[in-house]
Amino acid sequence: MLTLSLATVRDRWQLFIGAILTVTFGVALVQSALQTLMATGEPRVPPGVSGLRAEQIREGYAGAATLLGMTVLLACFLAVFIVASTFAFTVAQRRADLALLRTLGAGRGHLLLLLLCEGVLLGLLGSAAGVVVGLPATWVQSELLIGLGMLPESFSPAWSFSLLPISLCVGVGIAVFGVLGASVRAMRVRPLEALRDVGEAARVMTAGRWITGGTLLAGAVALVAAGRGADLLGAVMIGMAVSLLGAVALSRLSPLLVPLAGRLLGALLRASTLGDLAQANLRDGVRRSAATAAPLIVLVALTVGLTGTLDSVAKATGLDLRRITRGDLVVSSTGAQADRIAGVPGVAAASPQLQVEMSVRVAQRESRDDPVRHAVYHAGIVAVDAAAYRRTHALPERSGSLDRLRGATIALAPGMANEGVRTRAPVTARIGDRRLRLRVVASLPETLENGADRFLVPRDLIPADVAARAPAETVVQVAPGVPAAEVAGRIRAAGLGEVRTVAAWADGRVAAQQRGNDGIMTVLMGLSGLYAALAVVNAMLIAGAERKGEFAVARLTGLGRGQVVAAALIEAGAVTAIGLLLGGAVAAGALAPFLATPGVLALPWGLAAALAGGAFAVTAATSAAGTLAATREPPVRYAGSVPA
Amino acid sequence: MQNEPVSEFQAVTKEYGRGAARVRVLDEVSLAFPSGSWTAVMGPSGSGKSTLLHCAAGLEQPDSGRVRLAGRDVTGVPEGVLTAMRRRTVGFVFQNFNLIGSLTAEQNVALAARLAGAGVSRARVRAALADVGLADRLRHRPKELSGGQRQRVALARAMVVRPAVLFADEPTGALDSASARTVLDLMRAMVDGGQSVVMVTHDPGAAARADAVVFLRDGRIVDRLVRPTAHQVADRLVRLEG
Repeated sequence: MLTLSLATVRDRWQLFIGAILTVTFGVALVQSALQTLMATGEPRVPPGVSGLRAEQIREGYAGAATLLGMTVLLACFLAVFIVASTFAFTVAQRRADLALLRTLGAGRGHLLLLLLCEGVLLGLLGSAAGVVVGLPATWVQSELLIGLGMLPESFSPAWSFSLLPISLCVGVGIAVFGVLGASVRAMRVRPLEALRDVGEAARVMTAGRWITGGTLLAGAVALVAAGRGADLLGAVMIGMAVSLLGAVALSRLSPLLVPLAGRLLGALLRASTLGDLAQANLRDGVRRSAATAAPLIVLVALTVGLTGTLDSVAKATGLDLRRITRGDLVVSSTGAQADRIAGVPGVAAASPQLQVEMSVRVAQRESRDDPVRHAVYHAGIVAVDAAAYRRTHALPERSGSLDRLRGATIALAPGMANEGVRTRAPVTARIGDRRLRLRVVASLPETLENGADRFLVPRDLIPADVAARAPAETVVQVAPGVPAAEVAGRIRAAGLGEVRTVAAWADGRVAAQQRGNDGIMTVLMGLSGLYAALAVVNAMLIAGAERKGEFAVARLTGLGRGQVVAAALIEAGAVTAIGLLLGGAVAAGALAPFLATPGVLALPWGLAAALAGGAFAVTAATSAAGTLAATREPPVRYAGSVPA
Repeated sequence: MQNEPVSEFQAVTKEYGRGAARVRVLDEVSLAFPSGSWTAVMGPSGSGKSTLLHCAAGLEQPDSGRVRLAGRDVTGVPEGVLTAMRRRTVGFVFQNFNLIGSLTAEQNVALAARLAGAGVSRARVRAALADVGLADRLRHRPKELSGGQRQRVALARAMVVRPAVLFADEPTGALDSASARTVLDLMRAMVDGGQSVVMVTHDPGAAARADAVVFLRDGRIVDRLVRPTAHQVADRLVRLEG
């Protein structure tokens, strides 16, 4: 069987190249992520940096590790998914060969063994290439993470030979897992199918597809229905779940849905002769159409659905910040400049918030059953004037009162609202060389902001020189009747810092915090887009190569070569449109729950347009190239020819 | 055992399709293919020839009736038993040759031999190819061979394990007359060596090489000729189709 596997892979490499490339990219990504991950395990904090900077470096490393972990999982999932769909397609194309083996006396086990051997072979080939591609990929990946600000400039991951066996196992694992489903299905090939195209060969919509597709679709629809009236957190959960479930559901049901959608599109296409031929081919070549549309469904559903979800959360966070902040302007400056803002004519109230370099040590426990642990924080500690802060922030205390934020006291800001801080336990702080014992006097409610301030300390606790140097943000209320722009102009003119409206400040703050998400989305979209393109090109090229006879018949019927290419292009365009629309439907379902909160829904039109443009470009180019290649020789050579 | 038929039908019925489109392809067919002899099956298109061959070979199960193959009742037996029979007892030759395109002539024959299990040496594989006149084409792949040569590889593949019966579906249908003659000579040599052949064909010339011809129409056996001439076969066929 190994001889036959080897001969098959060598002879029909066109059927395998897509799967091999998928494994190659999968292995390269996993290897480079692991190599970087190994180097991020022990954050190297340069000696002599401040506690705040050290905490930022450590958080950056942790963020990078999370992102890399997600990359590994996603790369493996997508690679197995794409290998499975491309391999299923190649197995379908070789059904007659497999049936022939059965007539020669090959048992079902033989077929399984043959296909698994092919899986191992393509896994080995893909791994070998992936190990090589992985080396430059590591460099690109660490540059990306440095660019995102997650890792310091000095970061450089070292190659380790211990990665080699891992890469090999990952490649073979991806390939074998990918081919398993199709191989098990292929065991059911009946010997008679060698003689005529009957039964299973003609059936694309298998019972397995009905069951998984139907169940997942029902789950997604139920979630969308349940999402009416959901709060923001509920909408996020539903948005993510529906994107994933819906993507897999519709791709499983694609042999059913794509021809159905083709029927609807048919009304448009039937206007021209070529369009009519294209829509008939689309409906007739169910396996081909479904294999082309399915990756597009997954791509659009996942990226548009998830991006829309994250964008909507960002939009909601921005709205929340604006609601909380009762002011007209926000000024960024130093503490010393901030103190002078209140004196600017037209300013009714100013609340300077100083990012103080100090540390706070608290006792925490997640739940009643967990042991109490101590944690030290350096970031998100803000010194405020309690009265001014209350005036400019709509944040009613959950417990205690900000009025008492004077002297050796501290308040829990929104960033620590749900961190289980023991408010009765002693809190110690360190400012420069000074050690202080602080009393918790108030606790503020949670906000939507990810990375919100953690602690508020009274301004009088901070030595004047430290306060003067600290970076500050001052919320300014303008006196009634005075235009905010005029006051902004005066503050600028006085050289008291950078002035923005509250809306612009809130958007900027959310955007800064979104950077981590953006990194994840870049990786997610980049990977999904790459894999989807691979799968689409693969399906179209395999199908195109097998369509020589069909194209020849069309030309003998009187179509010119250009017309055959045009009909195939129209068909490819229609299938692409259907894939995009079905993926868009999933994304719409995923984002529907955000309608319950007015003004929150953010639709990523730019991304959707880029995906649609990219998809049409890839399918059109592949279709044209494939059809031109398949019609290069005179039609009479293929029409009615007898296969070997 | 000598006189026991290699394949036997007892009131075999087979239908295809559903509802109004249901067609009875074999209608209570009872028939025996004698051992060590060559039987041709003829009839107009849609008469049920191929279905008869598939049922005889155990590739399809009848809706009713019983089929015996090489002394064994194969009606409703498990797939594993049929698979084992395909390895050693039954051989196939198809109109479209059905060779595995990625394997050489030698590998195609060796694959069948290996599936059949122990005792088939490389020398025997080569001898089988030499017997069909392809000793110099061992390393050629199907696409490098002519139609006649491909069909001879397929015959060598079927002969190497010396099956009790060879089922041939239009074996000369895609060949020129010289190649067809070579293939039919090889099949005659198999029968003379004690094997049995059941062959579906449209060609009266090919049918005339058989020991007997049975004629099918609308799923029933309607005629039979023993030691026929091509003229007799063509004559019956014209009458059947007319």
